[in-house]
Amino acid sequence: MSGTGTLVRLALRRERAVAPWWFLLLVALSLAMVGYINRNMGTYELKLAYTDVVRRYAFFRALGGGVVEPRLEVLATWRSGGFLYVINAFAALMTVVRHTRREEDAGRTELVRAGVVGRRAPLGAALLVAGATSLTGGALTAAALLAAGLEPVGTLAYGAAVVVAGWVFAGVAAVAAQLARDARTATVIGLYALGLAYVLRYAADASDRPWLKALSPLGWSHLVDAYRDERWWLLGVSTLAAGALCAVAYALLGRRDLGSGLLPERPGKEEAPGLRGPVSLAWRLHRGLLLKWAAGTAAFAAVGGAMGPLAKDVLARPSVVVTNITTLLGVPAADALDGYMWYYLLILAYGIALYPVLMIMRLRAEETSGRADHVQSTPLTRVRWAAGHLAVAALGTVALLALAALVFSAVYAALLGDLAGTAPRFLAAALSQAPAAWCVGAVCLTAYGLLPRASVPLCWAAWVLTALLGQVVAPFYGVWGGTPFEPFHYLPNIMAGQAFGTAPELTLLALTAALTAGGLFALRRRDVG
Amino acid sequence: MSDAISVAGLVKAYGRTRALDGLDLTVRTGEVHGFLGPNGAGKSTTIRILLGLARADAGSVRLLGGDPWREAAELHRRLAYVPGDVTLWPDLSGGEVIDLLGRLRGGLDRGRRNDLLDRFGLDPRKKGRAYSKGNRQKVALVAALASDAELLLLDEPTSGLDPLMEETFREIVREERRRGDRTVLLSSHVLSEVEALCDRVTIIRDGRAVESGTLAGLRHLTRTTVHAELDRPAEGLAGLPGVHDLRAEDGRVRFDVDADALGAALRSLTAAGVRTLDSRPPTLEELFLRHYEGGRRAEAVR
Repeated sequence: MSGTGTLVRLALRRERAVAPWWFLLLVALSLAMVGYINRNMGTYELKLAYTDVVRRYAFFRALGGGVVEPRLEVLATWRSGGFLYVINAFAALMTVVRHTRREEDAGRTELVRAGVVGRRAPLGAALLVAGATSLTGGALTAAALLAAGLEPVGTLAYGAAVVVAGWVFAGVAAVAAQLARDARTATVIGLYALGLAYVLRYAADASDRPWLKALSPLGWSHLVDAYRDERWWLLGVSTLAAGALCAVAYALLGRRDLGSGLLPERPGKEEAPGLRGPVSLAWRLHRGLLLKWAAGTAAFAAVGGAMGPLAKDVLARPSVVVTNITTLLGVPAADALDGYMWYYLLILAYGIALYPVLMIMRLRAEETSGRADHVQSTPLTRVRWAAGHLAVAALGTVALLALAALVFSAVYAALLGDLAGTAPRFLAAALSQAPAAWCVGAVCLTAYGLLPRASVPLCWAAWVLTALLGQVVAPFYGVWGGTPFEPFHYLPNIMAGQAFGTAPELTLLALTAALTAGGLFALRRRDVG
Repeated sequence: MSDAISVAGLVKAYGRTRALDGLDLTVRTGEVHGFLGPNGAGKSTTIRILLGLARADAGSVRLLGGDPWREAAELHRRLAYVPGDVTLWPDLSGGEVIDLLGRLRGGLDRGRRNDLLDRFGLDPRKKGRAYSKGNRQKVALVAALASDAELLLLDEPTSGLDPLMEETFREIVREERRRGDRTVLLSSHVLSEVEALCDRVTIIRDGRAVESGTLAGLRHLTRTTVHAELDRPAEGLAGLPGVHDLRAEDGRVRFDVDADALGAALRSLTAAGVRTLDSRPPTLEELFLRHYEGGRRAEAVR
């Protein structure tokens, strides 16, 4: 283990740019939920009404996980708990992969290990740093909630549950990093584990099967039951599981060579008859990303469709929840169901808008890695090279939106009938959002063309701001209907009877075209690499 | 058309550092031109400008009769490039990369592709992330050499190859030279490679060409080292203009002599009765070190 201390310092130095954002997200989300409950359910009666609705529907119970009581503490953590556990777990997972497998891929571990550094030191340092990051995330959350005046003992239990969720998935990532041959695969394995844990926990709460919940590491954090029973010993279960996973990772580490994985690698193709131009190259390079997005989109859309009967049922009876939702959606109570569908589609669309953003970041990665140089030394011009990527990004965005619409309406119609009525309306609504998603990508392309070095943070900022200022997130900090500083704001709700917005659509298309042309023009005029 | 590349007064600055500071470079059509310089001298920057990947701040650049920045795509039909540090797409196999780059260049000769794969002993089915540095370099070399390009820009192409593969590379370049219609710009700091392959060389330091010409021409400009055993002391040798660093003891002499003073020095030796004689033209290495260390000394004085 010699050298661990030095490696920890190195990793902490590099985490300075990443970890604070996770902390900010955790604290902001937990405080936003407290604020949300205080604003919208100020009185005991309102809380009780809300609690009644939640208790009546398995879907709502499952969303937050566990039982609700008409108390601020329980409601606030019930609403944010599931997400906080997932966020801290996700952050730990990425941290471990970043400091183990990605370092190994880049060949830096080799350099480090040639020094007076033990075989176990890099993994040890990554786990220490990830563990400390999880701990800080949970501690800051608890501190913020204490400052907001929540009950102290429960808050401690809640913070600790957030911490151990991170620890378990740090262990999962440590194992994945030994199995996989490269960082990307390790991340995917870790995300599958996280997704499975979420689905298990969700299914357990939806179907009232506690044993199913006990199978999910995220479920353990829920079962701690902060502000109610406070089963402290469950924190020990998570900690032990994390320790066991780390032990497995160390054992696997001892059985493999540096740079190799335990899962075998398939050989590639000897020839490439289909690779002949910028579009086919971009498709070959980025089809994996699109397929992953398609799988995720389909899953989320299916959940939305499956919620159809529930939404119909809830919205049919007047209650505080219905009033909340119709205010949120800005639609008359009669159109509440259409409003719900549009809102769910918006959630998906804001998510899908990240896809073109990631594709622009991939363009930048092609350039910085030097791989673009190979292609640029051929007759392929720079603009055509980028255009190939943009074609895949633009069509991929439309395909994802269409897929979301079709899966949603298929599941919705399977439960409630009327496929012929739902599918075309939903498809039209989804496709009407494409120009807004493209517009976000086009902003990123302009940044990439003009300020290549700053383009990755700028791309993230473009998407995060779109989401934060948008109609889905803004209500959580009290701005109903979102803000006019993001493109989705200008799209009329054509599901709930508003007319198709020819003018905003054309404006967004023109803006997208102008930004794209500007970005490509800047790219043509600057140095590459 | 006689010059494949002609560069004059080329300047490229990155922030406050001047990577290129008035570089001149001429590569004639059909020759193999060595481009020598220590790390950071500006070799790769020059090649990136020749490829149109970076834009010159000042100076003139002509490549195959065109402007590499404005006519990049048209000119790239006629050239192939091997970067010094080859990165490949982690998911693409070597065979796929070779086919892609060949096709983008307007087609590649399949027979030649397979022959090169054979000669370099490269497995085209491995994925990019599984190749070693040397094998990544082979992928780029096969892609470049299998094309029908008039001009090859090779940036330290053998830095990851083993000696056996280096020899294979030399053989192939010699074959190309024999064909006579290919021009090669070979950036390198492996001096033996440049000596074995190149017709002419340019040595650059701190972004400027300090020497350029044929190897014979460069040697002519510099001193030959002479060792001799003599019957009696050579009278007047020390006084000859162009003789430097003379050392004489026990009937042996050793000195450096300028090319134009060699005749006079030898006459003076024969007059003293030569028993053994060994004269050695300066190696490229000595030429190179002279410029390089000269620069360092000059910097130290500053």
